Formats: sequence, structure tokens, C-alpha cells
Amino acid sequence: MRRNAKTTALLLMALCFLWAAPSKAGAADERLDRLEQEMQELKKENTEIKKRIGNAETDGEELRHNMGLLSKLVDVSGYADAEFVFTGQQDEHNKFRVRHLSLFFTKDIQKEWKLFTEIEFEDAPRIESNPANDTVAKSQGTLFVEQMYIEYHPYMNWDVRVGRYLTPAGIWSIYRYPPYVPTQTSPLFYKVIFPEVADGALLRNSFNLMDSVLDTHLYVANGSGNPGNTDRNQNKAAGARVNLDVMHGLSMGASFYGEKDNQDIRRASYGAHLLYNRANFKLQTEFVFRHNNTSGGINDRGLYAQLSYDIKNWTLAGRADWYDKNDKVSKDAHYRYTGALNYHFAHNVVGKVEYNRNEFADRSVRDYNEVIMAIVVAIGDL
Amino acid sequence: MPARKTLILVLLIFALNLLAASPARSGEPVAVIVNRDNMVGNLSPDEIRKMYTNNTLNWSDGVPVILYDLSVQNQLREAFSSSVLGKDAERVAEEWAHLKITNQAKNPPVTMKSEALIIRRVSTERGAIGYVSLSAVRNNSDVRVIYTIQ
Repeated sequence: MRRNAKTTALLLMALCFLWAAPSKAGAADERLDRLEQEMQELKKENTEIKKRIGNAETDGEELRHNMGLLSKLVDVSGYADAEFVFTGQQDEHNKFRVRHLSLFFTKDIQKEWKLFTEIEFEDAPRIESNPANDTVAKSQGTLFVEQMYIEYHPYMNWDVRVGRYLTPAGIWSIYRYPPYVPTQTSPLFYKVIFPEVADGALLRNSFNLMDSVLDTHLYVANGSGNPGNTDRNQNKAAGARVNLDVMHGLSMGASFYGEKDNQDIRRASYGAHLLYNRANFKLQTEFVFRHNNTSGGINDRGLYAQLSYDIKNWTLAGRADWYDKNDKVSKDAHYRYTGALNYHFAHNVVGKVEYNRNEFADRSVRDYNEVIMAIVVAIGDL
Repeated sequence: MPARKTLILVLLIFALNLLAASPARSGEPVAVIVNRDNMVGNLSPDEIRKMYTNNTLNWSDGVPVILYDLSVQNQLREAFSSSVLGKDAERVAEEWAHLKITNQAKNPPVTMKSEALIIRRVSTERGAIGYVSLSAVRNNSDVRVIYTIQ
């Protein structure tokens, strides 16, 4: 009996053990599952926190970006250059030249209205008065409001500008700022056949022609030699420029400017231009012609072709240039051959060395060579 | 003989030109992105270039294009400029500067300091287009990748 009881007790204990063992294992599994779930939740929370931190960082960055834009009450940009000129020109001397300080002020007045001005200080201007009688005792250099216009631009593809603007003609008349062109000298006909600036109203419009874009400029102005408030005649000048982007990197166009000047001489200027700008290679050429309706009917004309090539920080350029101020006289032609080497210290700092060979059809004028060394900087966060 | 020399010179210039035009490769794939509500399909590099050179100002549904760029020093911008625009980023920046300084730019790109800012702007502005590294937008449903530069 006692033996039986012992056996029964042992059996019961074994059964208890067998029953308890799986229940202990089940609890461990459950705990593991819970831990895994907790880990997943922690991971999720971690991702959320990371996302939130990322967003907060972007918020901060955007705020700084917007604050930066807001703090720019007026956007100021521009350029400055100083040069040394070795010249063989008769009656000229080698010299340092503090050539340009041009400041551009742009103010977005409303979403669709903008004020754009360019003030140019050329050759470090100085005006000094005589205190005794307020007359000018000393004046040097040029101080020039080169551009000042109010712009209305309801859409991206057209705008109207009223005030003083660069005469839209060809390429060089618009795109000629020293940090962005390889030479310090301009083509010989520049500022002569088309005036440098025009005081009036200008309509810019862009059209899509199939796969190309046609940019147009149409304008009326006082006429050359009639700046600001000093229009000396009743006549108004009119002009136009068209430019067609024919294909990637290739554009061409034409320009016209007609006026009756202060001597009542009717002048009509025509121009044609071509630009190939692809990869690091740039070819630009312009031909201009002006008919001056004087008694003899004189024409003046000019042509240049400029080739430039960018290799890393270097730009190599060459230009052949011709201007003939009177096609009725064979000896009035001026030729210039230019070679230039630019080094871009940064995208807004350029060092230039330029060689010019000037030749004249008139044998009484001495041909001469010139070397210009310049340092040019662009100002502003462009 | 001079004609032959001229021909050789012209061929040499074009060969150099083609060499310079070949895109620079960077390690990180670059994704060109638009807003998720922009109905445009995949764009070709030529179509993107036209936008970034102001030859295309509006999307096909008339919404104005808003262009985003990274800073000139950014590696992604260099990759994008070389591959899509066919020029160094610095040269492109100079060209924009010239257009801006002369006030001839119709729709200049807005330069942003970081990819995160571009993603944010593109995800909130319907007409926006920008480029960022592909990994930065892989799981972002607010923007759509329309072109990838490997």
C-alpha cells in the first residue's frame, strides 16, 4: 500500500512537471513576442523622430533662406575692373586704369513690377567744386546712369520697360560685361552704329516657333544724343531686334534702328548676328551697316568674329574686327586683331591678358600694338 | 594646302568640343524631380535642358515652370550641368549671371542651399522642377522622378 502511494506520488509529480514545462516555454515565447513588438515600436518611433528632426532642420534652413531673401531690400550686384595698358599708340602712354565700377540695383516693387538701375563709374570719377563760386574746379572720369527703367512683367514671356535701357542690338550691345566676355576692348563699331543706350519704352516678347524660341525687342526712343530731358528734336527713333534659337547652342538674329538725328539727317542701322555656344566652344559674329542720308549718302559698317574656348579655368579667345566709317573713302578702315587669355580664379574673379594689333588703311595713321592686363570681379550673389 | 590645314583645324576644334561635351560622371545617381501632381511623363535630357535654358517657360498644361538649382560648388549640380546642359556648372553660372546682370533672364533658376529644401519646394509647388540625389527621394511619394542621371 505504502509502495503504491509512493508510486502514485511520483507519478503525480512527473505529470505536474510535464504539464508545467510547456506552460513555462509558452510564457517565454510570449515574452519574446512582446519584446519584439516593443522593439518594432521603438524602431518606428526612432524613424518618426529622425523624420521630425529632418523636417525641423529643413524648416530652419528654409527660414534662413527666406530671411536671407527678405533681408535683401534691394538686390545689389555689379562688376569692377582695373587694368594696366601697354600701348604703342601715338600720343598715348602706358598706364594703370581704374576702368569700371558698375553697380546694379534691382528692386522687386510688386510681384509684376521691378526697378532696375545701373550706375557706372568709369575711370574713377571725381568732381570737385570751387568753394568761392561753386563752379567746377576739377572733374575727371565719367559718372553715368547707364540704365534706369521700370519694368512691368505680368508673364515670363513678355515685359515692358520704360526709362533708359541698353539699345537691344545684336549680341555685344547687350551681353558685353567684362566678367563675362574674354576681352577688355569692345568691337570697333560698338556704340557707333547703334547707340549705347536708348531713353524710351521697350517691349520684350518671346514666342515659341515649333521647337525654337523667337525673342523680340521692339522700342521707341528719343534718338541718339538726346538723353534724359534733352530731346533736341521732335523726331523719335524706333528699333527692333529678333533672335531665333535655331537649335541647341545655335542662335541668329537681326537688328534695326532708325532715326532722324538733331541735324535732321535720317540714319538707318541694320545688323545681323550669329552665336554658336555649345559645350566649351563659343563663336559669335556680327555684321552692322548704317546708311546716313547726308548729301553724299555715306554708309559706315563693321564686322567682327570672335572665337573662344574654355579649358578648365582658362579661356582662350581670338577676334578679328573691322570698322569702316565711310564707304566712299577707301582709307577710312580700321582693323584690329585680338588674342586673349583669361584665367578664372573663381566664377566671379577673372584675370585677363589681351593683345591687340591695330591697323589702319590710312597710311598717315601709325599702326600700333597694345597689351592689356586686367583683373575683373563680379559683385553680388548671382 | 591652306584649305587642308583649315579643315584639320576645324576638325580639331570640333573634336575638342565633343570631348568637352561628354558628361562628367559622379558616383551618386541624380534624380530630376517634379511635383507628384504634375501630369508630365518622363522627360528627355533635351526637354529638361530647354527648361533650364529658358526655351520652355511653361508645362504643357500652362503652369509656369519653377526651376531649382543647387549651389555652384555642389557635386550634384556639376553632374547635372555636365550631363544635361553639356557645360561645367561654373560656366552655366556665369551665363546666368550675365543674363541676370543685363536683366535678360526670363526665368532664372532659384538656387537652394540643400537637397532637402529642393525636395520640399518641389513637393509643394506644382510647377517646380529640381534635381537631387536619387537616394533622397526613393521613398518619397510627394515627388516624381522623371529622369535619372547615373
